[in-house]
Amino acid sequence: MKKNRRVTPEGMRDLLFEDCLARRKAESLLADLFMRRGFSEVMTPGMEYIDAFGTDIADDAALPAESMYKLTDQKGRLLVMRPDNTIPIARLTATRLKDAPLPVRLFYAQDVYRFNPGMTGRSDQEFQAGVELIGAAGERADMEMIALSAQALKDCGTENFRIEIGHAGVFSDLIHSLDADSDTREEIHALIESKSYAALGDLLDSLPDTEAARAVRRLPRLFGGEETLEEARTLCQGQEAQQALEHLSRLYRSLSALGLSEQVTIDLGLVHRREYYTGVIFRGYIAGSGDTVVSGGRYDTLLERFGRPLPAVGFGINVDAITRVMRGEGKIVPPSPPEILVYAQEGHEIEALRKLDELTGEGRLCEFGVLATLEDSLNYAARRHISQVFSVGETLEIYERVNKS
Amino acid sequence: MKPIRIALTKGRLEKDTVALFERMGMDTTQVKEKGRRLILPVPDPWTPVRSIEVVLAKAADVITYVEHGVCDLGVVGKDTIAESGGSFYEVLDLGFGRCRFALAAPKGSDFFSGYQARTVASKYPGVSRAYFERKGMDVEIIRIEGSVELAPLLGLSDAIVDIVETGSTLRENGLEVVEEIMPISARLIVNMACMKLRKSEIEDLIGAMEHQL
Repeated sequence: MKKNRRVTPEGMRDLLFEDCLARRKAESLLADLFMRRGFSEVMTPGMEYIDAFGTDIADDAALPAESMYKLTDQKGRLLVMRPDNTIPIARLTATRLKDAPLPVRLFYAQDVYRFNPGMTGRSDQEFQAGVELIGAAGERADMEMIALSAQALKDCGTENFRIEIGHAGVFSDLIHSLDADSDTREEIHALIESKSYAALGDLLDSLPDTEAARAVRRLPRLFGGEETLEEARTLCQGQEAQQALEHLSRLYRSLSALGLSEQVTIDLGLVHRREYYTGVIFRGYIAGSGDTVVSGGRYDTLLERFGRPLPAVGFGINVDAITRVMRGEGKIVPPSPPEILVYAQEGHEIEALRKLDELTGEGRLCEFGVLATLEDSLNYAARRHISQVFSVGETLEIYERVNKS
Repeated sequence: MKPIRIALTKGRLEKDTVALFERMGMDTTQVKEKGRRLILPVPDPWTPVRSIEVVLAKAADVITYVEHGVCDLGVVGKDTIAESGGSFYEVLDLGFGRCRFALAAPKGSDFFSGYQARTVASKYPGVSRAYFERKGMDVEIIRIEGSVELAPLLGLSDAIVDIVETGSTLRENGLEVVEEIMPISARLIVNMACMKLRKSEIEDLIGAMEHQL
């Protein structure tokens, strides 16, 4: 394995200096916001049994097995590297927080691992921060979550962002009144998700021309402001869809009243690949990133899988996408070099370490000199752009760096 | 505000798209006299805000640029989309660059009969695999880069999966279409985030393009 000794695995990468600073900054901004809103942090293990993520095909919440990093434990049981944050937190809430008063407010900031096709520039390891509000049904919870996701993007310094909201009920109502088998339904789902108008049209041509088929055909184009909901009301007559639209309409009005009318749009073609969403679905985008930055929604049936039926809503933020934009906009200042190099003359090492403690205690940025001679230390300080060298001996000698330019 | 950037597949799709831009009243002189440049402005003399920027790339790269959002839109054949996939919106069938994916075998041979496992050569292993999976057939697929028609002639494979336009290349090499797999034409694709962030401009452009088809 010598050839792999010096490289990181495909899809994985090292983070250096500014990248680490950007990560810490974004993480602390988000964690701070979530804590101020009453959420408590949890961390789940990096590996879980694959069973938690569903290997049964009939299971709606199942993640595709080929997208997960798999390993085995000592007994040969199949484990996966955490592929998702919401499912482990649902497991944790259902099993460990039985006595906690509802609703439970949790937040997380941890990596997820998923296989991406190679050579596409996408990392298999993604750092996500997000919140889950468990045990709360209803519009208030939905509204809080969407507004919080907008606030999270603002706190990270992104002015130009969009949040689109949709509802799982619209598609679910239409697809069930459509005369199609489950394979066709799945295909329609994929085509609507990718807004493939042309291919969707071809597929629907092969089905009986019903009201539902016409509505499905129109679905990917149903995005925009409040007028979208008006159009949808006439297209989707089913009771479930009407309720979903009414719900979205109230949410949209509330969010507009909060001053988010510029940022929030409706997208009824929003059918998420993650099938555990049962109600409102939302996604966020920021200028400068081609990726989805916020991904969230209501998942009222997920906790039932772990033996405790509870309604829940939450969202996750792709922190890596945010830090890339922060870095691109030059918002991350490179770490500055230490101000002082503390050098110990022969036999004065203890005093020098004391001096180092004293200076760092005052809040100065210091480095301890480990080179043997003063001359080497001065040269080193010049190369590292350290402005002062404190030489500790019988007396303290201070050398200022002379700028050669 | 920077102009909308659209990646075009070099070659025939590029020419057809440029012709479409001309019908929309845009000034495409710079694309026509591009020399070796790869990023070219296409101004709209009537409404300057509608001016766009054209990027010329190979088909698969068009998808890569759009997926990553460095180009807002792209024009690429359905063949490339079917082979490489990806997450983006496919919003318009532009109607030109029409052809089809087909399974072709030497004339007179019966590809589907018998129990022997078949070997198929293709430049499109992804499309071939998906096609035979749908049929529930276990087929050995061999990736070929150049003229795929050679593979059955040399005895490497029983059939090929390839793009067929008129079928004359097949005929001249003693092959015939066994089954058509999928119709192909040029598609307009859009980055998912750009679609949201620059909705009105992009919809405006899609509308104008659709109008001139």
